[in-house]
Amino acid sequence: MVWGAVAGGFAGTLVLTTVLRAASELSLTRIDLPFLLGTALTNDRKRAKALGYVLHFAVGQLFAFGYLALFVVIGHSGWLLGAVFGLAHGLFSITALVNVLLPVVHPRMGSTYTAAGSAPLLEPPGFLVRNYGARTPEITIAAHIAYGALVGALISLAS
Amino acid sequence: MSGRQGSSLVPQRIDGYAPIEAYAAIGDGRTVALVSADGAIDWWCLPDIDGAAACWALLDAEGGGRMTLQPTTEYTVSRRYVANTNVLETTYTTATGQVRVTDALLLGEPGLAPLRELYRRVDGVSGRVTMRWQFAPRFDFGRTPTRFVWRAGVPVAQGRGQALAVCTWAAGDAELGSNEAWAQFTLDAGGSAGILLAYAGGEPLVLPPRGEVDARLRETCRTWREWAKSRSYDGRWREAVVRSALALKLLVHAPSGALAAAATTALPEMIGGERNWDYRYCWVRDSAFILDTLTSLGCAPEAEAFFWWLMHASALTHPRLQVLYRLDGGAEAPESELALDGYRGSRPVRVGNAAQGQLQLDVYGDLLEAAWRYAHTCGTIDPEIARRLAQTADLVADVWRQPDSGIWEVRSEPQHFTQSKMMCVIALERAAALADLGILPSRHASHWRAEAKAVRDFVERNCWSPDAGAYVRAAGSTDLDASVLLAVLFGYAPPADERLRSTVDAIGERLVHGPFVARYTGDDGLAGSEGAFLACSFWLVEALARTGRRPRATALFEELLTHANDVGLYSEEVDPGSGAFLGNFPQGLTHLALISAATALAGEGSRP
Repeated sequence: MVWGAVAGGFAGTLVLTTVLRAASELSLTRIDLPFLLGTALTNDRKRAKALGYVLHFAVGQLFAFGYLALFVVIGHSGWLLGAVFGLAHGLFSITALVNVLLPVVHPRMGSTYTAAGSAPLLEPPGFLVRNYGARTPEITIAAHIAYGALVGALISLAS
Repeated sequence: MSGRQGSSLVPQRIDGYAPIEAYAAIGDGRTVALVSADGAIDWWCLPDIDGAAACWALLDAEGGGRMTLQPTTEYTVSRRYVANTNVLETTYTTATGQVRVTDALLLGEPGLAPLRELYRRVDGVSGRVTMRWQFAPRFDFGRTPTRFVWRAGVPVAQGRGQALAVCTWAAGDAELGSNEAWAQFTLDAGGSAGILLAYAGGEPLVLPPRGEVDARLRETCRTWREWAKSRSYDGRWREAVVRSALALKLLVHAPSGALAAAATTALPEMIGGERNWDYRYCWVRDSAFILDTLTSLGCAPEAEAFFWWLMHASALTHPRLQVLYRLDGGAEAPESELALDGYRGSRPVRVGNAAQGQLQLDVYGDLLEAAWRYAHTCGTIDPEIARRLAQTADLVADVWRQPDSGIWEVRSEPQHFTQSKMMCVIALERAAALADLGILPSRHASHWRAEAKAVRDFVERNCWSPDAGAYVRAAGSTDLDASVLLAVLFGYAPPADERLRSTVDAIGERLVHGPFVARYTGDDGLAGSEGAFLACSFWLVEALARTGRRPRATALFEELLTHANDVGLYSEEVDPGSGAFLGNFPQGLTHLALISAATALAGEGSRP
């Protein structure tokens, strides 16, 4: 099951990233999670992107183990339950994680209370991350559902 | 440099349109913005020079996006580039005082910078001046709705997948309409304000602090100065040559090395006419000039990047060449029309360029001439590229007998254009010479030489007119064509050749209007006429210099220099009567021809 979580975390993050990148290329959203994560550590654009991808995949692994823990507690796993977790995960991301927590911990992200000040500021995500485009919520949720389904399916296969 | 440079003027508009010569260009190696003398940014494509414009009032004064910044009372203007940079400095003088506006697209270091950032810094010089700014972008030529919102206390214009923030410092309290933002502020002597337009496409906006923006402005000036300082022309026209080099650098697409023919689309060759083309692509016909100019100015990295871009782009259509390629090396540039008013009613407004599909034989000569010059000045040509160049020469040997659309991309029936055939001679002879040097495979060299002789026989038999005393525009024609001057520049025959000298004289008499040279006489399949083509005027200078008429060439060159605009830039064409600019702006080929002529006049232009 552990290897299922590792594989699921990797494959799920890969698909999630691809969905968001494709949506960005189609001008449906400006969200860029690796960029957001990387700029928390460096203000060098190129390094931020590279670091961001590493961080994003690491976070993907962490969440996959979180899913694994929940599957163990419930005593059941599978792609459908994973998709439900993904839906909850996506909703949590756009309402609390990216919207509220990230601006608090991100040293270069603004909030509604800050004006352009002494440090470079990234545009805050806003409620439901809609600042990055009106279609961002559904795209982000769809990407997380795909992530959850893959994690659930691979953990189920490995168990 | 120019007779008009440094002088104060009162900006005028006709039906909301500024004259083309009233614009100055700023850029960052990815995109270019045009700033008019009255402080309006009427042209800015995003994220790159060939992208869709967010500011395009240049092509639609009524509905187009723009950013204005000017005093609230009557004023006069004087402008210049900060010495040896592409940073523009505009001084507004009013009855109550003077302010200086510095405009730049910032180059991105140091710090976490927006994807693209246009900075307008305002400094109080004397007295007290009230300024007003207004920003009303319209993303994607207005095809995408634009809406203003507040983000972290900053006005942000949002479009589909794009955003532009207006970060201001001491520039008034912004007010927001649904699709525009504006404010007013007063500046005393010694005070300063800043307005930054920060762009994001496909990522969250970066909203930088003023300290970093000012640091990037200083760094931008330093970078341009360093680049300009290392240009290797030391002749008497260094100021004009360096300004032209800086204008060309604005058109170099830094991510790929390609050079856009101009920064705009659809600026008309005749006011109200239909000759309104998109020049935001790279033309193969310019390649030999580009390589020659870049190497003569000591821009080896740019020359190398351009040659490799050229070989990369042309690989997609090998062994055939397209007339033009996209700046990213793509081969597709489908032409369509935008529902805009057009510059002073000049419609259609085209994006994309249908000339990509034409057969133009001259481009093969340009490619092999570029390869010849690259091999002699920059570096080695690897075997794979050499094999491709040889196959291109084989193709020329096969197709030179076909009629084509010629260097001017006429939309009438294809003809046997003289200049096209001459460039086929250049292509085949350069390929054979490169084979002799062991750079190209030599298997077909004797065939290339035989075909070069056959083309030359064709030209001498069919394209020379004893009556005109000149090589004419096309086989059997009686019209003249200034592009035949390139035969002198590219070494089709020695400069002492009687027919060439006579052709230069004929063009110098029959195609000129004052110092300006028209492209050709005769039909081109389009309605209306056009202005004089500025590159041809500089080609005449160079042809005169190379055929030994140096005093006349120098006088003509110096007169042409007085027709640059107040910041030393040129467009594609000029109205010979009024001196007003026509066509796309700033025009790379004009500035390339200026540098080439200056180099020839300085006696440094010996071809390899």
